[in-house]
Amino acid sequence: MSRSSDSEPVYDLTDVLDFDALSSVRSGSSILISGPAMTGKEDLAMSILADGSRRGDGAIVVTTSDRAESVVSDYRDRVPDLDESRLGVVDCRGESGRSSEFTPGGAFVYHLSSPGEITGMGIGITKCLENLHNNGADSGRFALTSLSTILTYTDKKTVFKLCHVLSSRFDSAGYLGVFTIDSAAHDDQTLQVIKQAFDGMIEIRETEDAREARVLGLAGKPTQWQEF
Amino acid sequence: MTGSETPVVLIVEDEPDVAETYNLWLADEYDVRMAENGDEGLAKLDEDVDVVLLDRMMPGLSGDKVLERIRERELDCRVAMVTAVEPDFDILEMGFDAYLCKPVRSEQLHETVSNLLERSSYDGLLQEYYALVEKRATLEATKSSAELADNEEYQQLEERIDDLQDKLDETLGGIDSDEDFIATLRGIGDVEEQ
Repeated sequence: MSRSSDSEPVYDLTDVLDFDALSSVRSGSSILISGPAMTGKEDLAMSILADGSRRGDGAIVVTTSDRAESVVSDYRDRVPDLDESRLGVVDCRGESGRSSEFTPGGAFVYHLSSPGEITGMGIGITKCLENLHNNGADSGRFALTSLSTILTYTDKKTVFKLCHVLSSRFDSAGYLGVFTIDSAAHDDQTLQVIKQAFDGMIEIRETEDAREARVLGLAGKPTQWQEF
Repeated sequence: MTGSETPVVLIVEDEPDVAETYNLWLADEYDVRMAENGDEGLAKLDEDVDVVLLDRMMPGLSGDKVLERIRERELDCRVAMVTAVEPDFDILEMGFDAYLCKPVRSEQLHETVSNLLERSSYDGLLQEYYALVEKRATLEATKSSAELADNEEYQQLEERIDDLQDKLDETLGGIDSDEDFIATLRGIGDVEEQ
């Protein structure tokens, strides 16, 4: 068993999103970031990763929409003195089959031809973990953006199982995982099912003049909505 | 695998002595079937087979080809490749669930078979878990929280979900090896590009 014990590190995410409930997130937790389109879910996920990279954590990004090059260059902007060898990207929009490469800066990139390639995603993640480990990062953060795309290629059963298995794997590896989903693109039952594969959820909504978030499931009751 | 039946292991191996050795080691615990080549292996393969030990280098149909046919038939069995050389990571990419290097020792063989069976039972638990979670989501969507608090079916569902979650956490050590991770994802299934 590799369940976390009290002595394992916790992640403090309050620099990214100022909620008490995010001040000591257990190592190995998986969090769903849910909200309508264009409300900054992916930006929040990448901010959580970048915050870790500034502290020397490893970072793994699985992207279903952006090309690996743009993920890496966006990441360089977020973390100016980035050690790129501690970044791994799985790009599900490859043009031709499975392949891997290193960027000139040393980031590891794995290409898949489709977001429906669940096994290939696992192989890419495993290679990223191995590479980060070889470069001295034994803890880190993982982001998958977005589950909504995978849902269009598969179904809620597949995505639920995928999330559960990824959560278990990252729990064993001591990684923090964040996964985004477009809450407006799926029916309530789908969201209700998928969120049960996670330890907690950050919900985002947009009011007339502000973007608000609340945290559910990580510490006690749901928090109040709060501007961010 | 239902747990009550003896798991079935199919040995596909062209060297009779080697095949017989595996059989001797496994016969006490498992229901063993033997095939001398790929074609015979495919003929002896059905839904009851849980684990296939597949020699990679055989005259006639190669181990890789046999694997391809097994996957095409969408059977739930797990396939371990038996090979003369230490393979690299790409074995997993090729779709094998595990590999064994010759000469295979008894202990290794037992470990591999039982690990593959544990993966099958993980798949079964995960499937069951999903079904319950989906049912719970349906109840939650159609009833108020006051109704749910009084609903016996809902209470039982909660208990079974907690119970299954514990079992999943215990199985495969919570998925702490790369091989278990990838094989489990393979069990969930890929979707071909439309």
